[in-house]
Amino acid sequence: MHEEASTQDLKERLALIESMIAEGRQRTQSWGWVFLLWGVAYYVAIGWSTLGRDLSVWGSGHNWAWPITMSAAFILTMIIGIRKGRGQPVTTAGRAIPAIWICVGISMFLLFPALAVNGRLDEHVFVALVGAMLGTANGASGIILRWKWQFLCAVVWWVTSAVACFGSITQLTVVFLTAIFLCQIVFGICTMILEARRRAHRGVIHA
Amino acid sequence: MPELPELNPVVHGKLRLAVLSLLTTVEEAEFTWLRGRTGSTDGNLGAQLAKLEEAGYVAVEKKFVQRKPQTIYRMTEEGRRALAEYVQALKQLLGTAIGA
Repeated sequence: MHEEASTQDLKERLALIESMIAEGRQRTQSWGWVFLLWGVAYYVAIGWSTLGRDLSVWGSGHNWAWPITMSAAFILTMIIGIRKGRGQPVTTAGRAIPAIWICVGISMFLLFPALAVNGRLDEHVFVALVGAMLGTANGASGIILRWKWQFLCAVVWWVTSAVACFGSITQLTVVFLTAIFLCQIVFGICTMILEARRRAHRGVIHA
Repeated sequence: MPELPELNPVVHGKLRLAVLSLLTTVEEAEFTWLRGRTGSTDGNLGAQLAKLEEAGYVAVEKKFVQRKPQTIYRMTEEGRRALAEYVQALKQLLGTAIGA
């Protein structure tokens, strides 16, 4: 067999193995839309809860704004995620990352209503907990994917979480809205652009 | 002079080699994902996968998900061994060719 195979052909085979392994390891699922969707959902919830009120009381406004918006975002994420996930390969990282986000989501869905019912949830506690949890999920995902931009989002959320413990509600609102804009809206759109570019760069291999 | 290794003809085919390399990176993959990654046609990919299955290098599972047929492929231990041996042989041949 090797008698017919030229050195060039052998090099091509080795390059093909390397390129296919790199291709297989690339993140194939599109997740940019999730960040964008949740960023918009946070803005909708904040806007709804402050309808007819001052922005400095966004946490104590319409009581159903957050539960309804977050539940709607969750249902949408599940429906679109299941549809988009069809045909994707099973990988260890592919199972680990959704697991982190699902567990963080469950923690939030249990903790916030419980704190709200007890009257122990104010704007500072809310932003501090959201920041810490989103920092954890983004940080873990960034480390698994070795993606510095996602890890940078984690840093922004961690800083937001710490800053939320200080200052006035107006300052807190500005910090929270900025973190949402950077880590959900901007990060989501940039990720979607990168994913679209990656999809456009595909080659063809013949037998 | 040491004897030159033989290249496994089943692994050597370009598309089969691409499929095996892709399958090393995942636990399991659907036919459509492999087709998308390799950019090959249904017929060509199906024929090459059948050869790999015949050689025992990939395992196939057919199932229905929401009434739609799905064909899942995963690499067998034998397949991993064959690819590792192929890479070793390839490197050895290239080393010999470069050294000559």
